[in-house]
Amino acid sequence: MSANLDAMRGSAPGSNVAVAIRRVLTDGAGVVAILYVILFALYALWDRSALSVSGVTDLSNNAAPLAIAAAGESLVVISKGFDLSVSGVVSLSNVLMATYPIEGPHGALISLLICLGVGGAIGVLNGLLVAILRLQSIAATLGTMIMGQGLALVIMDAPGGTVADWVSNTLTDVIFGVIPISGLIVLAVVALWFVFRRTDACIGIFAVGADETAASLSGISVVRARFTAFVGAGLLYGLAGFMLSVQTATGNPTAGTPFLMLTFAAVALGGVSLTGGRGSLVGAVIGAATLMLLQKVLFSGGVSSFYTGIFQGFVLVLAIVFGSFISRLASTGARA
Amino acid sequence: MPGAASVLDVDSVSKSYGATVALQDMSIELLAGEVHALLGENGAGKSTLVKILSGVVKPNVGTMRMGGQPYEPHSIVEARRRGVATAFQELSLVPNLTVAQNLFLPRQAKGTLGLVSGAATQKQAAAILSRFRLPLSPSAVVAGLTLAERQRLEITRALACNPRVLILDEPTAALAETEWLFGLVRQATAAGAAVLYISHRLAEVRELCQRATVLRNGRSIATVSLHDATDHNIFEMMVGRSQAEEMQGRARAGGAIRPAVLEAEGLAGESLKNVSLKLSEGEILGVAGLEGQGQRALFRALVGLAPLASGSVKIDGGRVRLSGPDVALKTGRGIAFLPEERKTEGIFPALATATNIVLPVVGRIGRAGLVSERLERDAAAGSSSDVDLNPRYLDFRIGDLSGGNQQKALLARAMHTGARILLLYDPTRGVDVGTKQSIYSAIRSFADSGGAVLLYSSELPELVHLVDRCLVVYGGRIFAQLSGGDINERTLVAALTGHSSQESAA
Repeated sequence: MSANLDAMRGSAPGSNVAVAIRRVLTDGAGVVAILYVILFALYALWDRSALSVSGVTDLSNNAAPLAIAAAGESLVVISKGFDLSVSGVVSLSNVLMATYPIEGPHGALISLLICLGVGGAIGVLNGLLVAILRLQSIAATLGTMIMGQGLALVIMDAPGGTVADWVSNTLTDVIFGVIPISGLIVLAVVALWFVFRRTDACIGIFAVGADETAASLSGISVVRARFTAFVGAGLLYGLAGFMLSVQTATGNPTAGTPFLMLTFAAVALGGVSLTGGRGSLVGAVIGAATLMLLQKVLFSGGVSSFYTGIFQGFVLVLAIVFGSFISRLASTGARA
Repeated sequence: MPGAASVLDVDSVSKSYGATVALQDMSIELLAGEVHALLGENGAGKSTLVKILSGVVKPNVGTMRMGGQPYEPHSIVEARRRGVATAFQELSLVPNLTVAQNLFLPRQAKGTLGLVSGAATQKQAAAILSRFRLPLSPSAVVAGLTLAERQRLEITRALACNPRVLILDEPTAALAETEWLFGLVRQATAAGAAVLYISHRLAEVRELCQRATVLRNGRSIATVSLHDATDHNIFEMMVGRSQAEEMQGRARAGGAIRPAVLEAEGLAGESLKNVSLKLSEGEILGVAGLEGQGQRALFRALVGLAPLASGSVKIDGGRVRLSGPDVALKTGRGIAFLPEERKTEGIFPALATATNIVLPVVGRIGRAGLVSERLERDAAAGSSSDVDLNPRYLDFRIGDLSGGNQQKALLARAMHTGARILLLYDPTRGVDVGTKQSIYSAIRSFADSGGAVLLYSSELPELVHLVDRCLVVYGGRIFAQLSGGDINERTLVAALTGHSSQESAA
């Protein structure tokens, strides 16, 4: 809460620059954005190709699936829930795309709609279980995750298949010679967030995440807020599965498994409070990008990929400690 | 108010939750322009009636009519649309949103494209805040407000709907002064609204309300004109027996000088400016103050919850450094603190009442490091009798108990720690008359057995009734120190507002 408090205290005129700095530092997204810039500078130092168009495109293609999945997870986490179904949806979308490749731009659109449909359907199911039947979100989504993964295995029992060429060639490319398409898709998700941020539905999700009783006594429909969060998240997982297929160009029934832990890591790294009611989808997106960039940095720094997990965990803990330290420092500073 | 039109007519409404009957055959009629009090002990069904009227729950049987039309709200929003707005006792503000956002929940002011406009919301909120004379910043986040500010905001939000029926559930529980609220209530009734007013403070009710409906065990006992009914009549209707316990001053301990057990010298920090006090064995030392005068910081500083810029604390004459309630509990004869917000700072709602009571000393009652439910219950039973808490509640989840019983359990917990110094912060906030008496006698017998009590109360009669000496805080300082016959409401009120020639105990 202290981030909000500081924003409030800082609203006194006079010290605008100091206020702006404090806001960036106490906002979870601000801390992780700074971390990203530092890591990127390191990466560029070690590997000059980082700044080339292909380097940036590579980075963007790599990060897009996790970034979009983390964006979805942040919606549920803000509403004070956990959604494990992400890995089920990603796996399912991926095997569907590799089993039934449809060529051409129209094919890509149909594939995208299928992925969104799968994600949306599982999101609706999660919403029914958690929002309406009031089951615990971890338990309910654990069930839907296992269902999704099981279904993926039925469709494709071993890695294989090929994603449509048009999809894997065009969507990994750049337009206007410099802008990676995957990056644009992530930006579109962020843009949608900024629109959604200005709806009663989104304010409802934040309210329910902070205090369910107060929210409902204030006239907010808790059921609708939770439902919206799960369905929105499911749609984004579907898109994440689509983007993963774009990048890997092949199918794997367990493709979604690594997403489970990494989305939560990205959400936490991005300053979204796991106790609900606080954070931003943007933070989660940058958190995901940071985790993926870290892999690149380690690789270009010559560190064996076996160590990646250790570093990712270390950075996550460090960022959370740093974030809470800064916000505590800022709040005592503001009080004095 | 003869001849006034009926605004809301509730006829024989009943509500039960499973086997528990919360309301039975409840009838009440609210007239235009009246302030109607709803009186009853905790658990009498007041909250249930509030929930039914505001659309949170639906009654099992019975009819409600507004201006001749059937009134069956399915949601809070619908009730508000029909003209019934409620300021809830548990305060229904969302902590992570701003004042402005809370005022407009669930629908914010819209700008272009039908999207929420922060600027428009803040502007409209500022207009509402100034209309109801509430000096808050629309962009302030609710979590940063004091309890009193939140209570005012809750009331303002209900008033902003321009209701025909305004329900105020314990609206003064966190307010030290009532002028602001009463002015607004009178304004609303002058415009023809009916107000349902729920409060445990009878003096307040008499000042503001014309009629009262008394509830007991979920039934409406009677509707009386307050002008004709004596306090005695009302208590009798509420508790169903003649419990005419007069508010009497405590036989104040005079003469004999007892050793000081807790001394504070020159405490400063947060909102405190050079506060000193001395609490002796067997003494009940009162603290009076209008909201936000530093009393909260004082209590929190004495248990190490708030940092001190300067000053020292001594227990039994020895200087101590208190870094938190756990340390305070173990230092010297021990200090136990009963905090202000029982919902968030006191209870563990999902645990049994017995567990809640023994929690601070759970290491002491175990056998070989293991605690059984039976051990907990046995340990809790002893202290529950001290506060007159019915032992059958011990096995219930504390979250399911009424506010008054929760408070008794928390007091039992503070006493059960074995600490001989109790810091009680408004221990009777929002509890009913019967519970208050039990809490008073528990505090008194604690002091009589050699314990020392520092007691803040937002109710002056309570201080007059209970304490041996009384400190008045004003602007972070101790403004006056009263003792003996000086402890009466008139002197206290004068000192509270800073208009006093009393000696300044700086």
